[in-house]
Amino acid sequence: MTGPSSGEAVAKASPGGFSWLLEQRVLLSVAVLAVLPWVLPSQALAVNVLIYGVVVMGYNLLFGYTGLLSFGQAAFFGAGAYFTGIAIGRYGVPWFAAVPVAVLLSTCLAAAIGIVSTRTRGIYFSMVTLALAQLVYYVALQASSFTGGENGLRGFTVDRINLFGLQLNFLDPINKYYVLMAFAALAMWFQSRILNSPFGAVIEAIRENEQRARACGYDVERSKLIVFMLSGAISSLGGCMLALHLSIVPLDILHYQTSGMIVMMVLLGGARSFFGPFVGAASFLILEDVISLWTPHWQIFVGAIFVLFVLFLPKGIWGTLLDALRVGKARP
Amino acid sequence: MPKSGSTSKITRRTALAGLSAGAALLAMPRLGRAADETIRIGFPTPLTGPFAAEARDQVKCAELAVKLVNDKGGIGGRKVELLVRDDKLNAGEAATRTLELIEKDKVHAVVGALSSAVQLAVNEVTRARGVIYVSISQSDTINEAKDFSKYTFHEALNPHMTTAAVARQTLKKGMKVAHLVADYAYGHEMLRGFKRAQAAIGADNVGEILHPFGAADYSTFMPRLMSMRPDVLCISNFGRDQANSIKQAVDFGVKQQMKIVVPVILHNQRLAVGPDVFEGVVGGANYYWGLEGQSKSAASFNAAFKAANGGAIPTDYGAYGYSGVGSLLAAMQAAGGTDTDKVVDALEKLQYDLTKGPQHYRKCDHQSVQSVLVLESKKKSAMAGDNDLFAVLANDAGSDDMLRSCSELGHAT
Repeated sequence: MTGPSSGEAVAKASPGGFSWLLEQRVLLSVAVLAVLPWVLPSQALAVNVLIYGVVVMGYNLLFGYTGLLSFGQAAFFGAGAYFTGIAIGRYGVPWFAAVPVAVLLSTCLAAAIGIVSTRTRGIYFSMVTLALAQLVYYVALQASSFTGGENGLRGFTVDRINLFGLQLNFLDPINKYYVLMAFAALAMWFQSRILNSPFGAVIEAIRENEQRARACGYDVERSKLIVFMLSGAISSLGGCMLALHLSIVPLDILHYQTSGMIVMMVLLGGARSFFGPFVGAASFLILEDVISLWTPHWQIFVGAIFVLFVLFLPKGIWGTLLDALRVGKARP
Repeated sequence: MPKSGSTSKITRRTALAGLSAGAALLAMPRLGRAADETIRIGFPTPLTGPFAAEARDQVKCAELAVKLVNDKGGIGGRKVELLVRDDKLNAGEAATRTLELIEKDKVHAVVGALSSAVQLAVNEVTRARGVIYVSISQSDTINEAKDFSKYTFHEALNPHMTTAAVARQTLKKGMKVAHLVADYAYGHEMLRGFKRAQAAIGADNVGEILHPFGAADYSTFMPRLMSMRPDVLCISNFGRDQANSIKQAVDFGVKQQMKIVVPVILHNQRLAVGPDVFEGVVGGANYYWGLEGQSKSAASFNAAFKAANGGAIPTDYGAYGYSGVGSLLAAMQAAGGTDTDKVVDALEKLQYDLTKGPQHYRKCDHQSVQSVLVLESKKKSAMAGDNDLFAVLANDAGSDDMLRSCSELGHAT
């Protein structure tokens, strides 16, 4: 029940029998997400899988598909959340308008950070994104009249929403989940569209061989900047969802540990795969949820599992699973 | 990867089979819930992180409060259950855990949290859903009208009352005061409290230095603080930071020049570094086991704790766990059940004396009006035993005058 997802497969695929499945990967993913609140131990956990799934999916565009290892994705996650909260709480913007506004503003932030950082390569790119994300963290800490500083942003609870004339109790976990899932579905459709477009092929070409892509006449710098912005936009949508879900924005959302967690999730689930980010987010959060109920030393276990994955399953859970399925299918 | 071109031919049939297998899995009945008659209290607290020692004490004491009620047959025949969750000292995590407690575990009330930011996050979640929350961590913000709701109760002391009591004992007109402050909400609120008390007393501020939360190295701050030549150094930080900063201040010879004062002197941190380092340090507290000589309720709380924990004594932050859960359960007892409005009513009317003397929740902001202790850490030679840590300098009886007025906090009066 999987969408084909390897970037390489997408790039090389000929249209035909393949395209049916390609279109379905969004639908299949949504179908899996739709049942999450009924299988996971709690609905709060399911919503978190959704939120982090979207954030990590945005990050996967940058890291998995373009090969840019950023350590600053938390900046966009947090920016989306803060802009949503401030728009609703301070300026009284209705929630459905606050989300696009927040995504737009976060994309501008991504453009600013991207202009500086995409000029560098390799470890320097990682360090520059980390440094700029820390800058965003300290701005949020200091601008406490806007952001609530250390205490976090509060006072923008969305408790009822009006959906085309239908009054929904947004505090009900199931209603909340499906409304937020619509956002996630939108993000998935958008990302799938990007990956299927010629631009999607270009970014993978950059990942595989930057020199060659340049020689083929592609504007590598511009493509990197655009993908950085798109990635930031999708991750910031995750932030908007978090703000609507928790009705607080904790300052820790901008902390570099959040960026680290995003990297961990994408590696755990499988970079370069379409549904991998959701698998990564789900497995990380479930591990954390279950093990921390059982022992306060949960980090030891999560860390050990992570090390094992990096050593033995570098393609992550989903990537490995897809490979296994393919081996089975390829030889009749 | 030679095969990748011919790879992903997962047929429609396979996909359908997979999907239906998944659906079948889901159709399996979910795990049964706890019986409806139990009263469930959610208890998010930072079991991991720098405040873990204090958090563990809170859990032990909260469990004791629950056990004592259950031993007497529960509330209206219903057993009480405490659901402890690790909030990892992270506001987002705490909010998620609280949601989980409310939505999945269907708790009747929430008690807990051990940081300013975390309790405000928990409060935001509980008040939107009309669930009672008794906070047991210091905060001034939670008293203010913006964060208040009828479901919000604050059992802990707040920085305003703590710093005022400590300042009254340690500062005099014309004294020079310097501050070393942890750069987060707790430190900022304590600093604000001290400065307000200083201004009222007429002591002079000679400087403030902020240090990052969780700092291990304070050596760069000490020479700067000493060059300010204060009479008193106020160190406003919490948990391990308190032990680390005092230890390094002593290494620099700070104590020969000035007196060290802290807003809250922590039992566990004093134990962690020993008597010589803390000797002469003065700080506020909500509870000290040595009160048992003066207070009957302290004596019975100590005895119950010792019996349940193999002879150990309860600590300051532990006592919050006991009185926070205890006052809530007493109100449920009075209300005859868990009906939220009735319990809120009962909490507002409740007069309780669980650990150290009479307490009640003030009507306008639900702040617990209670006594504030000022303690001085004893010299090693003056200690009667391993647990004889502090001398009680003052035990200010609780009164509304200790608190900021309701109108100042923005409540309608």
